[in-house]
Amino acid sequence: MYSEAVREPPMAEPLSAEKSAEIADSDFAEIVHRYEAMVYSIALHFLADSAAAEELAQDVFLQLHANLGQFQSGDHMKFWLRKVTAHRCIDYKRRRVLPQVSLDEAPEAAGPTPTADPLLTRRLRQFVASLPEKPRLVVILRYMEDLSADDIAEVLSMPVATVKSHLQRSLAMLREKMQREKITRAPGEVAQ
Amino acid sequence: MNHNDPEFDRMEEALKKALRRQQAPDAFANRVLARVAQQELDRVLTKRESILTFFTRPLTRWATATALATAMIVGGLYYRRAELKAERERAEGEAAKQQLVLALRIAGSKLQLAKSKVKQIDGNENSNRQVKE
Repeated sequence: MYSEAVREPPMAEPLSAEKSAEIADSDFAEIVHRYEAMVYSIALHFLADSAAAEELAQDVFLQLHANLGQFQSGDHMKFWLRKVTAHRCIDYKRRRVLPQVSLDEAPEAAGPTPTADPLLTRRLRQFVASLPEKPRLVVILRYMEDLSADDIAEVLSMPVATVKSHLQRSLAMLREKMQREKITRAPGEVAQ
Repeated sequence: MNHNDPEFDRMEEALKKALRRQQAPDAFANRVLARVAQQELDRVLTKRESILTFFTRPLTRWATATALATAMIVGGLYYRRAELKAERERAEGEAAKQQLVLALRIAGSKLQLAKSKVKQIDGNENSNRQVKE
């Protein structure tokens, strides 16, 4: 389910208001290529289901296509994509009532993740998948997208204090779970 | 998050690695573009179909028939009212004409009477003048 990590290619130039209004289908394909990893990964880490994540990511891009004229810049589009993906994740979860992922049943990484302890990575993804919806999104946006609490608050339309509180509680919970399983190791240590 | 706990730092680092972005599935963009094209096609077809099927839907058919019947009834009523109004105006005109003719007749007879009176007076004056002479 999980393959190697990706960063989006840098934008050649920010979209001007005039240019964004004139985006053609070939430009749209380029936009999809640029942001597919971001949108898909948010959905994948949240839903822990690659098929559902792809379906959701496709829906996000369809919605983007329908709203192409409204973006003032590349940053605006990126912000919009994160926001819509996050909200769609919550909607999807509530609508479909996906089976609750227990720590033992949560999907494993399919491919190797170089430079990281595979067991630790797998357990951390399982822990994150077991968090409640909003704290899970906060953690994903913080550690996957490297967003600040202010940015996360804006994306999720919630107060900054709530974001910080979700983050602290989630980290405390993850830390407790990791300590319980004693899987936290110093860098370089390898799981048995 | 400000803390001085190396274990927390390690956990944050591990979280960053565990939650790295993943490559979207192969041909993801192609599938998105195919769905966009399909959506555009569906929209065109739906628009065309909606125009074609507008009058074939039972509700629309009934609505159209009702609207036509209502228009015919209302049109008929308007026409009948206009016809009655014209008829009434014609009758009123006829009555006014009759009244005018009657008035002219009365005026004519009065004039005749006045004329004969004048003639009679003229006749009397002539006979008196002849007697005096």
